Amino acid sequence: MNHSEHLSKQYDSDLEDVRSRVLQMGGLVEAQILAAIDCFTTGDHDKVSQVEEAEFRVNAYEVEIDDMCVHVVAKRQPAARDLRLIMGVSKAVTDLERMGDEAEKIARMARQVHDRRGLQIPRSAEVRRAGEMAVTQLRRALDAMARLDPDEAERIIGEDVLIDGEFRNILRQLITFMMEDPRTITTALEIAWIAKAIERIGDHVKNIAEQVIYIVRGTDVRHVSKELRRFGGSPGEGL
Amino acid sequence: MDSAWLLLSLRIALIAALAGLIGRWQGETAGWAFGCMGLLLLLAFHYIYLARLQRWLKQPDSQTIPDAWGAWGNIYIELYRLLRREAKAREQILSDLEVFSQAAEASPDGLVILDADNHIVWCNRMAEQHLGLRGERDAGILVTNLIRLPRLAEFIAHPGEGEPLLFRPAERRGSVLSIEAIRFGKDRKLLISFDVSQVERADTIRRDFVANVSHELRTPLTVISGFLEHMLAEPAPEEARHQLGLVSEQVDRMLRLVDDLLILSRLEGESQMLREEEFDVRDLIYEVSGEARRLSAGRHTITCEVVPATLKGSRDELHSAFSNLVSNAVRYTPEGGRIVLYWEVKEGKGIYRVEDSGIGIAEEHIPRLTERFYRVDRGRSRESGGTGLGLSIVKHVLMRHQATLEISSVPGAGSTFSAVFPAWRVTLPQA
Repeated sequence: MNHSEHLSKQYDSDLEDVRSRVLQMGGLVEAQILAAIDCFTTGDHDKVSQVEEAEFRVNAYEVEIDDMCVHVVAKRQPAARDLRLIMGVSKAVTDLERMGDEAEKIARMARQVHDRRGLQIPRSAEVRRAGEMAVTQLRRALDAMARLDPDEAERIIGEDVLIDGEFRNILRQLITFMMEDPRTITTALEIAWIAKAIERIGDHVKNIAEQVIYIVRGTDVRHVSKELRRFGGSPGEGL
Repeated sequence: MDSAWLLLSLRIALIAALAGLIGRWQGETAGWAFGCMGLLLLLAFHYIYLARLQRWLKQPDSQTIPDAWGAWGNIYIELYRLLRREAKAREQILSDLEVFSQAAEASPDGLVILDADNHIVWCNRMAEQHLGLRGERDAGILVTNLIRLPRLAEFIAHPGEGEPLLFRPAERRGSVLSIEAIRFGKDRKLLISFDVSQVERADTIRRDFVANVSHELRTPLTVISGFLEHMLAEPAPEEARHQLGLVSEQVDRMLRLVDDLLILSRLEGESQMLREEEFDVRDLIYEVSGEARRLSAGRHTITCEVVPATLKGSRDELHSAFSNLVSNAVRYTPEGGRIVLYWEVKEGKGIYRVEDSGIGIAEEHIPRLTERFYRVDRGRSRESGGTGLGLSIVKHVLMRHQATLEISSVPGAGSTFSAVFPAWRVTLPQA
């Protein structure tokens, strides 16, 4: 094997390492969010500590991957798609870490809701469904990143409105509960926080999907309407 | 073939002979000129055939093979045969490959072939369903990028070791997959996924059944045992007293059995997390040895040799495991025997060891000791009051603490049961 071939192989494996690290982190966050939603539906205290423990590992991943990205950029000076991969991945890491924080928030709120026993918990099935939707979206976004599949990423971005709609539904129902019986207000507010956290997770998923499109096509689709996205334009061009 | 080459030599010889003759009649120059002309013609002729061969080789097909004469004809015939042989061999290989891939597709288990760096090479349709892969599109992708189980990377790194990985795909609620990794060929790996949802469900049903039955049996047994105690306290004829005593003994045994079954089914419930705390091992062992002395009622010498240390784990569960090991020793050690409880820390690992001078266990029984209701000697253990579940409980408790049970024994001389705890569960006191 000649020298330059060896170098480029090493470089490819560096890039692949970064990406697979991010996807592993994604797998952990996925499990963490699921556990957080379980906390809410079952009120299992052990699960809460599980979520908190995962949070440490997620943070460690973030630091490690950021460090890997800096090293690849400094040592290999990647260009074109490789550079976009590094940039996109390091942004996705931030989103994943935020999702971890949201999961922790859900778990903590869930504990508070369940510690105040005696009150029937309104609308837990809807929250569960919204949460599962968000986790499915996350799984699909990570798959799209593994496969570098921009079409799937585009579909995910389009479907974010479903989670937003679910969130508004939950809110409307919670408001009805609060009006009927003011004693439910505290609990209902906490559930609203949980639903909001799930909605935020959906937004972060959308960001990750946008990074996938950026990596593959080199077009920045953030804050761009769907039509412009189809033509691959940037907001400047659209005006 | 020989004749063709002979013909070619003859042709050259003919040209040479004609050139010689012409040389003699018409002068030397004319002879040389004729010879050169003849050879040039021959050369040109061969060049044309060479060009044709090259053109044909660009798209070799047995249908379009050019006609030729002489040595060229032979070469084309050989090429034609070669082509046919190749085509046949390829057909054979393809049909063999087809059979193999059809067999792999027909497998009820998911199969994924990985290369040395864990990239997906191939997977069958079942694996696509089980693991959410997309067949050929996913070839070349790192398997851990698509199946993002936190423990999978480590699992694949050591194929063929450890328990199969259980995987609950979120896409299909309630289904459970068991994943195994096998190394084959040179550095390649095979991932096999089985659908174990049915097994898992049956297991849950069995566990629930045992737990429910034990629970239902407990209440009537408690009532019976209460009334028996009451009746035993009343004055009664000698014979009736004796019979009542026997009944009461059996009821106690059933109660113990039901309790053990309840403990076991609780331990098996995987969903239950271990309630961990740090506690002083010495206290626990003194407690256990006290209970053993009561059970032995002075028939054995029971001593403890312990070092101070704290252990991380569930004290209640470990209490039941530790005392099961000691009560076994008491039961299987004849009167006057000696039982020693050790707690020591070696290379960081905590070891709880029970040594007795009892009847011992023959080697062939040792691997099966922890099976439920497994008895070395059917008659004996019943008379000594065992339920047949003790060591199963011990095994489950230790498993939940990532500890191992080691058994060594010499028949007639005594047995040693050791529970070895991983180092991270053990803390030595600060000196």
